Amino acid sequence: MKLVIIGNGIAGNQVAFDVRKKDRDAHITILSAETVPEYDPCSLPYFLGGECGRTDVFRKTPEDYTTHNIDLVYDSRVVSIDPEAKTVTTHGGGQISYDKLVLAHGGDLFIPPIPGIDNPGVFSCKQLAETEKLAAHNGSSAVVIGSGAIGIEAAEALKRKGYAVHVVELMDWILPSLFDEPTARRLETALKGYGIHVFTGEKVLEIKGTGEVSAVVTNLRTIACDTVVVATGVVPGTALARTAGIDTGRGIQVNRQMQTSVPDIYACGDCVETIDACTGETAMFQLKHNAIEQAQVAARHIVGEKTRYLGAYAFARAHFFSTHAATFGKTQRATDCILGDKRVIEREDKNNYLRVMLLNNQIVGGQAIGTFADGLGLLIGAMWRKDDFMEIAAKVRTTPRGGAVHTWPMLRLGNLLGM
Amino acid sequence: MKLRRDHLSIDPEKCTGCRRCMIACAMKHHNRIDPDFSCVDVIGFAAQDLDVPVICLACETAPCIKVCPMNARIRQASGSVVTDTDVCIGCRACVYICPVGSPRINPATGQTMTCDLCADETEPWCVAACRQERALTLCTDGAASKPAARRAAARTLAGSPRY
Ligand SMILES: Cc1cc2nc3c(=O)[nH]c(=O)nc-3n(C[C@H](O)[C@H](O)[C@H](O)COP(=O)(O)OP(=O)(O)OC[C@H]3O[C@@H](n4cnc5c(N)ncnc54)[C@H](O)[C@@H]3O)c2cc1C
Repeated sequence: MKLVIIGNGIAGNQVAFDVRKKDRDAHITILSAETVPEYDPCSLPYFLGGECGRTDVFRKTPEDYTTHNIDLVYDSRVVSIDPEAKTVTTHGGGQISYDKLVLAHGGDLFIPPIPGIDNPGVFSCKQLAETEKLAAHNGSSAVVIGSGAIGIEAAEALKRKGYAVHVVELMDWILPSLFDEPTARRLETALKGYGIHVFTGEKVLEIKGTGEVSAVVTNLRTIACDTVVVATGVVPGTALARTAGIDTGRGIQVNRQMQTSVPDIYACGDCVETIDACTGETAMFQLKHNAIEQAQVAARHIVGEKTRYLGAYAFARAHFFSTHAATFGKTQRATDCILGDKRVIEREDKNNYLRVMLLNNQIVGGQAIGTFADGLGLLIGAMWRKDDFMEIAAKVRTTPRGGAVHTWPMLRLGNLLGM
Repeated sequence: MKLRRDHLSIDPEKCTGCRRCMIACAMKHHNRIDPDFSCVDVIGFAAQDLDVPVICLACETAPCIKVCPMNARIRQASGSVVTDTDVCIGCRACVYICPVGSPRINPATGQTMTCDLCADETEPWCVAACRQERALTLCTDGAASKPAARRAAARTLAGSPRY
């Protein structure tokens, strides 16, 4: 079997090495747009901030590919797929044939159409090469456009490097897709406490300067700076699939075996749209754990095993300096369009905050800052099991002294929820 | 379910809440008599008079390995999953995703720490400390049949999520 994988990221490598474990003879090729072995994009902000070295971001060494007999071809961005002839074409014009093809090329940084965005003082930290450029840049004042998880992590990293840091967010609060306003406001206060300037509900209109950045103009102010970091989101790479006649929605569409609509072509990772494991709704979470699990399913199916993807789950942490927060499932805003009996449980104790969303007495999401977050896994478990909130409350009330030790997860949940 | 070579078996019904296991763990790994440095967390439920030792059981499909941004959660040959302190940045993702919140924070470094089964000893120190009560025991290969292990797991974990 000739297996060709597009993309040398988290998902692509998982497929390649998983298939190799079970099939010693398969001919495996990874086509990479970059020139380095697999690294973890999640580590990049910490490399930027100097919390880890460059070598620590890598998940593989060049030797890993040779010992596992996997062909890793650098600098070969795939530009088209011909499903009839079963070939792919790289930007250099080379053609590679396949028996089975895996699309694992992730997503692309969304570049907002702002005047001045192509100024050399504008950086990003989506890929290693770009992050290295930013790390080598000698600036003193930075504007981060966008306050998603990547934007906040980049802001912390630059602050650690001694920059004056400003975060500009178009939406009403920071981390808008991960947290509700009450949680986000608390995190914003924490960020400001570390000396990071945060402007929400503000739109960047222009990046000023020629040859280098001199200022960022928003609808409300002009911020003098010499560095801009774009962190306005990652859009799934669907163009390659669409032009090959593969069905796409927001992402590449796949079934529970990670097969696309075209025979012998699989897709996994940030480029696909899947289902939410809990609700069955269409989902696009673009998170590392989902990329790994999808790739494991694809690999199993490629080697002929019976397998079924259970679905993706939303779980993210927000961590900067000594502030720790995490979120899972739906935000309150995401439940706004669902009919049903809704309730929000909130707890607060000094700098610690907990917010749990209930829909028809079942936990559908939660957010926590500080010590409350330490028990978040129990809430996630309750969401997966679809525990009834009333039953948890009843268990907490009725468990007799010294008895029924099996109720302890419920008791712990009860403690966490302040019952 | 594939059983790994060694793992701890927890029987909370036998736990008296003495916390000697916590002291033993802290002494073994940090040379301190301070339960905050223990990988074992004995959680007390005062109203119900219950004590439950919570320890990393090194899940077969450990979600902590997948969510760690630094790839610092490492599966060892013994089966246990430990934090690589050379790269852990203390973000606590592994704590938040754990079905029982078992990784503990090292108060000195902010990094997480979980049970390594005292790999260099014949018996984990917490197990030795609990020899009388036997709330913590070590299952080696063949010591627990699959059905027995399943029953025990169902008792203590009451259906942790399937990842
Ligand atoms: C800064 C940052 C921080 C993050 N933090 C977290 C976190 O804390 N937790 C979390 O769960 N997730 C996090 N993520 C998201 C996580 O990194 C992604 O979900 C994960 O990397 C997806 O894996 P993937 O293999 O689908 O895509 P990627 O890892 O992006 O790999 C895609 C690869 O394909 C290559 N490629 C693209 N197009 C082509 C082409 N046409 N031909 C050949 N190769 C191509 C790219 O160069 C890239 O190497 C973070 C991402 C970033 C950027």
